[in-house]
Amino acid sequence: MAEEITEAQKHDLVIIGSGPAGLTAAIYTTREDIDTLVFERAVVGGLAAVTDKIDNYPGFPDGVDGLKLADDLRRQAERFGAVIELGEVTGIHDEGEFKRLETTSGEILAKVVLLTTGSDYKKIGAPGELEYYARGVHYCATCDGAFYRDKRIVVVGGGNSAFQETIFLTRYASHIDLLVRSTVKASEVLQDEMEQFVKDGKVTIHLHTTTDEIIGENNVVSKVKGTKDGKDIEFDVDGVFVFVGLIPNSQFLKPTTIRLDEIGFVITDEHLQTTMPGVFAAGDIRCGATMQIASAAGEGATAALKIREYLEGRLHPLQN
Amino acid sequence: MVKNITIFTTNTCAYCQMVKKYLGAKGMTYEEVNLDEHPSRQAEAIELSGAMTVPVTVVTKHDETKEVIIGYNLARLAPAVA
Repeated sequence: MAEEITEAQKHDLVIIGSGPAGLTAAIYTTREDIDTLVFERAVVGGLAAVTDKIDNYPGFPDGVDGLKLADDLRRQAERFGAVIELGEVTGIHDEGEFKRLETTSGEILAKVVLLTTGSDYKKIGAPGELEYYARGVHYCATCDGAFYRDKRIVVVGGGNSAFQETIFLTRYASHIDLLVRSTVKASEVLQDEMEQFVKDGKVTIHLHTTTDEIIGENNVVSKVKGTKDGKDIEFDVDGVFVFVGLIPNSQFLKPTTIRLDEIGFVITDEHLQTTMPGVFAAGDIRCGATMQIASAAGEGATAALKIREYLEGRLHPLQN
Repeated sequence: MVKNITIFTTNTCAYCQMVKKYLGAKGMTYEEVNLDEHPSRQAEAIELSGAMTVPVTVVTKHDETKEVIIGYNLARLAPAVA
C-alpha cells in the first residue's frame, strides 16, 4: 500500500540525474513553467563534473573545466526555478496519469519522468582492483590525483578519458605508464597533446598490454602485472587509475517495464520515450548515445520539448 | 550532537563540492582542509580514512567520538550530521 502523498510531492516532471542532459532539460522545462524536480544521487554535473578539462563542448574555444561547466549548468537551471534534490530514486511504478517514484526522501508522484542517469566508469575485473579501491586503485583523477605527487602511476585505458586524465595526472606523478589493451582510441587532438609528455619521458604508452593483477605489499599497491604482446610484464607503481569505458546507471530500472538493451542502456523511440509511457530518456543512459557532453545536452533539450508535447497531449508514439 | 566537522578536499574534486553543498544547505559550518593548499596534511587524511581519496569528512560529536565518511556518501553523511 502506497503512503499518502501530498500535493507538494506531486510534480509535472521529475528528472533523475543532473548531468548535462538532465540540467539542459531542466533549463528548457523550467523556462516553460513546467514544475521540475531534479534528483541527483552523486555529483551535480555527472561525469562531466569529474572531468578535468572539456575541449570539445561548443562555445569554449580554450576548453572549459568540467567542474565549472557543471556548476554553470546548475546555476542556469536553478535561475529558472529548477529544484535539485540530493537523493536517489530507487524505483519507478506506472500508475497511469502519474508515475510513483520511490526515493531516499520518500515517495513522490510525477506526470512525466526523464531518465538522465548517465553512466559510470567500468571496472577492469582484475584481482586486487576491489581490494585496493581508494587505497591505490582509483577512478577519479581530479579527486585522487593529488595523493600521487612525485609517485609512479599506471593508467589503464586507451580512449579519450584515459588520455585526458593521464594528461591531468602528469601535474602530480613522477612517471605514468599508460597500459592500452589493444590500440589507442583517443582523439587525434588528445594524442597530439600527449606526444609532448611522451617525448619528455613523463608518460610511456604500452600498446597491446593487459592489466591482469594489482599487487600490494603492506596494504599499499606496489605492482601491476600484465602481458605485453603476449609476454609477462610488471610495473612498479604507487597507484593505478582505471578508465576503460562506461557502464549505464540503469540497475534500478531492471524490475520495471522499461526496456533495456543487453548492456543495460535504455531503449527509446524517436521521441526519446521509453517503453513505459510518460518516461523518457536522454544522454549517456540511452541506447544509441554517443557519450559526448554536447550530444547529451542536445538530447536533454529534445527530451524537454517532447515532454512538453506529452504533457499537452500532443505526443503519440508511432503505431507498429 | 555534532560538535564540529572537518572536510579534506582538493581544488578539482567535484564530490568535495557536493559534500560542501549538502552541509551548506543544512546550514552547517565546517572547517575545510584543502590538500592542494596544504599537502603536508595529506598524511592526516590518509590516517583518518585509511584511503587515498577525497572528500574525507570527519564528524566529531560532543562526546568526542568521530565518524569518518569517505567520498560523497549521503547514506552515511546524512545520519552522521543529523
